[in-house]
Amino acid sequence: MNDDVSQFHLFMEGEKIMALDYRKCAEEIAANIGGGSNVISAAHCATRLRLVIADNGKVNKAALENVDGVKGMFESNGQLQLIIGTGTVNKVYDEFLSVTGASAASKADVKAAAASRMPLWKKILKTPGDVFVPILPAIVASGLMMGLVEALAKAIPSFADSGWFGFLDLVANTAFALLPILVAVSAARVFGGNIFLGGVIGMMMVHPGLMNAWTVTPTNQPAVWDLGIFKISQVGYQGHVIPVILAVLLMSTVEKWLHKKVPEMIDLFVTPLCTVLITAFATFVVIGPIFSILENWVLKGAEWLVTSTGGIGALIMGALYPWTVVMGLHHMYNVIEAGMLSGALGLNIWMPIASAANFAQFGACLAVAIKCRNAKLKSVALPSSLSASLGITEPAIFGVNFRFMKPFIAGVIGGAVGALFGSLTGLGATTYGVTGIPGLLAINNVPIYCIELLIAAGVAFLITTVIWKEELPATAPAAAPAAAAPAIEAPTVSVIRCANGVVLQPVKGNVIPYDKIPDDTFASGVLGVGVGVEPTDETVVAPFDGEISSVAESKHAVGVSANDMELLIHVGVDTVNMNGDGFTCLVKEGDRVKAGQPLIRFSRAKIKAAGYSDTVAVLLTNSDDLEGVEIGAK
Amino acid sequence: MKSFEYVITDPVGIHARPAGILVKEIKKYASTVTVAKGEKSVNALKLMALMGMGIKQGDTVKVTVDGADEDTAFAAIQDFFKNNF
Repeated sequence: MNDDVSQFHLFMEGEKIMALDYRKCAEEIAANIGGGSNVISAAHCATRLRLVIADNGKVNKAALENVDGVKGMFESNGQLQLIIGTGTVNKVYDEFLSVTGASAASKADVKAAAASRMPLWKKILKTPGDVFVPILPAIVASGLMMGLVEALAKAIPSFADSGWFGFLDLVANTAFALLPILVAVSAARVFGGNIFLGGVIGMMMVHPGLMNAWTVTPTNQPAVWDLGIFKISQVGYQGHVIPVILAVLLMSTVEKWLHKKVPEMIDLFVTPLCTVLITAFATFVVIGPIFSILENWVLKGAEWLVTSTGGIGALIMGALYPWTVVMGLHHMYNVIEAGMLSGALGLNIWMPIASAANFAQFGACLAVAIKCRNAKLKSVALPSSLSASLGITEPAIFGVNFRFMKPFIAGVIGGAVGALFGSLTGLGATTYGVTGIPGLLAINNVPIYCIELLIAAGVAFLITTVIWKEELPATAPAAAPAAAAPAIEAPTVSVIRCANGVVLQPVKGNVIPYDKIPDDTFASGVLGVGVGVEPTDETVVAPFDGEISSVAESKHAVGVSANDMELLIHVGVDTVNMNGDGFTCLVKEGDRVKAGQPLIRFSRAKIKAAGYSDTVAVLLTNSDDLEGVEIGAK
Repeated sequence: MKSFEYVITDPVGIHARPAGILVKEIKKYASTVTVAKGEKSVNALKLMALMGMGIKQGDTVKVTVDGADEDTAFAAIQDFFKNNF
């Protein structure tokens, strides 16, 4: 009787979804939350539109619930959550963004949630990419322009002296000279800080009152402010990336912490003031000096490697060069080049090494551009590779190669091989500041230089083509699960079987029937039938492809549903009393999961220390409604 | 349709085990029981949905009983809340 009713409801909802006008739904939602200006951020998960609202007083809750398409709403964690439904919510979300003008950048929430499942080293490597992708349009344009303008200036000396060059050079290098500002704004968005405060930190780091880092030479050193306890070198961070990201990470952390601690009444002036001050000191007193020491080491090391160790040094430097680009340390190499030209040899043997390294990144990026099927990635990779061929590699490295890592490594190898070849064949340049194709105008042996570039790019291109595989979006159906590099391995043993499907064993260990679970409630079958697992492992994985239907606040239990099966996985007995200590939940309500995907990690030692049984209950909570339920490991 | 409001006193709230016992109790009756907290409400027979509400100690829930035997069910379920939550 009850079932008939709920099926009828389901049917009705299905009808409603099909007829739903996404635009209208989004407009009505916007109208009932006080308009787009009242939205701080908008994101969505598998079923819900998640909004952070500035002024909750403007929200008309009653009207919201009656909006066609909104199946329910509630407030949680400071978010207004509207239940809209799988497959629909994303369309309503897109319309909502266009209706309200809310920035899609706030999808960062969703991304952050995804990122929290990653291991730390992956998160660290992913950060520069996350920061760079939004600013790519700016630096791809500038990179191409800069390459062309500089090439022209080398080719036509009179152009270099003209007003045209002066102006075009200014336009082209703006984004690079002031790169820290773009990086800081973007990083503030990634780390959840205020983007304008982030902007201030970025601007501070390239303030005109500081000496331009590009003009620093051994004889032209920046002045120092003596603050008594420490000294601050008056030098900017032109062209830097990593110190800026670190500074903004610190800023965002300080800002968020202060927002929580400072009383609201004085928050508006205390928090930004303290945030900027603390960050400024930390940046110029700690982060800055560390990087300038690092720069000096790199500079001395690089010079020694290349001038004293011949081919091997060139090989190593060719491999290290792109890393120094990632660190933003490459802008000071002009010093080495200038030194070589004025030295005994009178030849710049640094340039062929840098050229090989840069051109290899071009090769790797080009391989990605050709191999990838994602139109968006292609549209980024192609111009980025062109820019790299002209010697401006930041777009290619940060926007493409370093993000996926494998192309970057391929570029490192290509660069090393190319640099070795260049060194053995005695390549050298008669000027400095150009690499890649424009380097043709400055090189002492054009045919050999061409071969060097071909080797560097060719090696990187081939390696990338072989080892790099495009990560297809999670929604794409896996054509052959066995062949598609299974990062997630589904368990092979099933513990519950019924007409609706099979429940695989979610945690390794000894399987016992549910009535042997050392807890009266679980054993009684009130929560449905199933099994217990006496775990030998500490990770609970998804027992089938499905959706997370609930996550316990204390992170020790999770509900997974699929095909009308509602499964409860409850780690330990009475562990709700541990309040989440010893448990890490890797998913949230509404997430789609694949069989074998980790859901909860738990500490057996902590459960034991708390005096509870660690038996994991795996129960089909609606087993009464299902047919042919059979339990036991098989 | 009858409803009552109740403030949860059980320190762990309506979690897996208590939720399961509640479901078992409700299954004795033909009436539909709805548990609401704030703006969110669920059919109390849906164990997963009930647990997903994250009802904790100190929360006020509104319980609605609706159906042919709502009078007997209402009294029993109200007692049940007092005794268990």
